Amino acid sequence: MLSVKNLVKEFNGLTAVNNISFQVDEGKIFGLLGPNGAGKTTTIRTILNIIKPTQGEILFDNKKISNDFFNIIGYLPEERGLYKKSKVIDVIRYFGELKNMSADSVQKEAKQWLEKLEMTDYVNKKVEELSKGNQQKIQFITSVIHNPKLLILDEPFSGLDPINQQMIKEKILDFVTSGKIIILCTHQMETAEKLCSEIFLMNSGKEVLSGSISKIKKQFGGNNVKLEYDGDASFISNLPFVIHADIYNNYAEVQLKDSFKPSEFLKAVVEKVSVSQFSVIEPTLNKIFIDSISKSAGN
Amino acid sequence: MKKIFAIAKWEYLEKIKTRAFILSLIISPLLIISFSLLPSFFVSRGETSTRAVGILDETGLFFENLKKDLSSIKLENGQPAYVVVNLYNGEDFSSSKTSADDQIIKEKIDGYLLISGNSMESAKAEYRSKNIPPFGELKNFESKINSIRVNRKLVEEGINPEIMNYISREITINNILVEEKGKERKSDFGVMFFSSFIFIILLMMMVIYSGQMLVRSLVEEKSNRIIEVLISSSRPEELLAGKIIGLSALGLTQILIWLLIGVGLAGSALVTPDAFKNVLPVLVYFILGFVLFTAIFVGIGSIITTEQEAQQITGYLSLIIMFPVVIAIPAMQNPDTTFMQVLSYFPLTTPTLMILKYNITAVPLWEFGITVLILILSIFITIKVTSKIFRIGILSYGKRPTSKELMSWLKEK
Repeated sequence: MLSVKNLVKEFNGLTAVNNISFQVDEGKIFGLLGPNGAGKTTTIRTILNIIKPTQGEILFDNKKISNDFFNIIGYLPEERGLYKKSKVIDVIRYFGELKNMSADSVQKEAKQWLEKLEMTDYVNKKVEELSKGNQQKIQFITSVIHNPKLLILDEPFSGLDPINQQMIKEKILDFVTSGKIIILCTHQMETAEKLCSEIFLMNSGKEVLSGSISKIKKQFGGNNVKLEYDGDASFISNLPFVIHADIYNNYAEVQLKDSFKPSEFLKAVVEKVSVSQFSVIEPTLNKIFIDSISKSAGN
Repeated sequence: MKKIFAIAKWEYLEKIKTRAFILSLIISPLLIISFSLLPSFFVSRGETSTRAVGILDETGLFFENLKKDLSSIKLENGQPAYVVVNLYNGEDFSSSKTSADDQIIKEKIDGYLLISGNSMESAKAEYRSKNIPPFGELKNFESKINSIRVNRKLVEEGINPEIMNYISREITINNILVEEKGKERKSDFGVMFFSSFIFIILLMMMVIYSGQMLVRSLVEEKSNRIIEVLISSSRPEELLAGKIIGLSALGLTQILIWLLIGVGLAGSALVTPDAFKNVLPVLVYFILGFVLFTAIFVGIGSIITTEQEAQQITGYLSLIIMFPVVIAIPAMQNPDTTFMQVLSYFPLTTPTLMILKYNITAVPLWEFGITVLILILSIFITIKVTSKIFRIGILSYGKRPTSKELMSWLKEK
C-alpha cells in the first residue's frame, strides 16, 4: 500500500504541491489527473524519492520511502527518450542492471517482454532506427522489466497508434492483477475512465476531487441523455427543460433539468426528428474534469 | 557498488563504440606526431641531388681552393654535393657577372658565390641565387672561405697550417643531471621538451575531449529525461562515481593504446626511449589530473541545459586547462622560481607542472608524496561538492541556476 500524507513541496517560495493526501491499494490502477502545471510531476518525483518533500511523508507498506525502494519502483517519464545511438537490447539490459537485475534474468525478461510487445525483430537495431511508437514500447519495457511493485506511468499512451495503445493497455491490466500498484498520469480521460478504479484530480497543487470513479460519477449525478437521430435537432437547445446540449450532426448529449423525466424528453423529440437510439447516461470523466477544473479555477 | 559498476560499464562500452572515439584514438596521436616531428624532419632533411654552384672570383685568390673544398663535400648517398663551375669568362669581371646572373635566371646553375675586391684584405663575398639556399648552406660557404683566408695568411707568415686544425677544434659542454648516487643522465632540451610535452598535450586533449563527451551525454540525458529514470534507480553519488570511473577507464584505454604506439615508435627510434623514462610517476599525475578534471566537468555539466551552453562552457574550461601549456616553456627553463613552485602545488596545475618537473630535474620523494596527496584530496573535495550540485542540478531544466541557488544547493543535505 502506498500512502501520501499531507504532502507539501515548495520551490524557492513557490508552492508546487499544497497539502495533498491519498492512498493506493495493491491490485489497483490509480489515476493521478490534472491539467498542465497542476503538480503531478512534482508529486511523482517525491514518490520516486528524487526530491524530498518540504512537509508530509510518503509511506510504502508503512515504511518511509527511501533509496532502498529504488529496485522495486518502475517509472516511465512523460518525455520520451532513450539512448538513441545504442542498441535496443543494450539499453534494456542497462536499465535492468540499474535495478539490480542479474545479467541472466535481464536476458530472460527482455526476451519475454519483446515477444509480448511484438518487438523481437528490433532487438539488435539502434534505438534511433525505430519508429516513435516502437521506441515508446521499448521504453515501456525498460520501466517494467524488473517486475516492480510500484509502477508509475506518466502519459503512457501519448504518441501511440490505437493498436499499440490497446496492446499497452492490455499489458498494464495484466500487470496489475498480480498485486501491483500502478499510478497512471494522463490527460486522456477516456483511458483513465476505462483503466483506473480510483482517481485523484489536482489543480494548482491542490486536490480538486478524489475517490472511486463510480462514486465520483454518482456524486456528480446530473440528468443526462444521449440520442442518435436523423434530421435537424437544433431546436433541442431551446427547449425549456434543457439546461445544456452538445449537438453534433446526428448525435447529441443533453443535460436535462433534475426533475424532468427523460421519457418526456424523448416524447418531445420524436415528433421532430427520427430517433434511432436513446439512452440515459452518466457524466463522462472528461466532463467532470473540465467542469471541476473550471470551477476550482473560478474559486 | 554493483550499480556503480553497471553505470561505469555502460559509459565505457557505449562511448568506446562511437565513431568519434575511434577517430580521436587515431587522429590525436597522428596530429601530435606530425606536429612534433614534421618540422624537425623538414629542417634536418638533407639535399638528395647534386647541385650546380658557380664561383666568380674577382680576387683570383680563392677559386682553386674553394673549388677543391666544395667538390669534396659528399651527399648522404655518396654523390658529390656540388658541381662547381668557374664563371669567369676570361675577358672582364662585369660582363662575367651579367652572364652569370643570366645563367641563374635560366636555371643552369642554382646560384654562385661572387667574391669581389682586389686583395685578401678587401675581399667581400655574396651568394647570388634565385631561391633562398637551404638552411645552413651559407654558414658552410662562409666557413670554407674564411678557413682559406686564414690558411693563406698562416702560410704567408710562415706558420704551419696544421695550427689551423687545432684552432678550429672546439670543446662543447655536455649537461649531466645527477639525481641519485651513481645515477646520472645526459640532459637534452629536445628530448626533455618532447617527452614532457607529449604527455601534457595528451592530457589536455583527453581531458577536453572526454569532458565534452561527458557534458554532451549529460545534456542528452537531461533533455530526454533519462536522468529521471537514472536517479530513481541509483543514488546521485553512484551515478557520479560510475560516470567518472567509466570515463577514466575510457581515457586509460586511450593512453594504453597511445603508449603502445609510443613504444612502437621508440622501437623505430623516432622517439627516444628517454621519453618513457619517468613513465610511472608521470602516469600517476596523468590519471589523477584526468580524474580531477573529469569530476569538475561533471559538476558543470549537471547545471547546463542546452547543447550551445555546453559548448560555450567547455570552451572556457578548455582554456583554463590549456593554461599550464602556456607556462610550460618558461617552467622548463626555470623550474625553481617561486611562481612555478606555487603552481605545482595548485591542484589545477599540479599534474602538468609535475610532469614537466620530472623531465627537468630530480624530484624528491616527499614532493611526489605531497603533490599526489593534494591531488587526491582535491579530487575527493570536488566529488563531494559536485555530487551536491549534481543531485539537484540534473533535475533543473530551462534556465541555468544563479550562483545564489548554487550556494543553497551546496548547503542542502
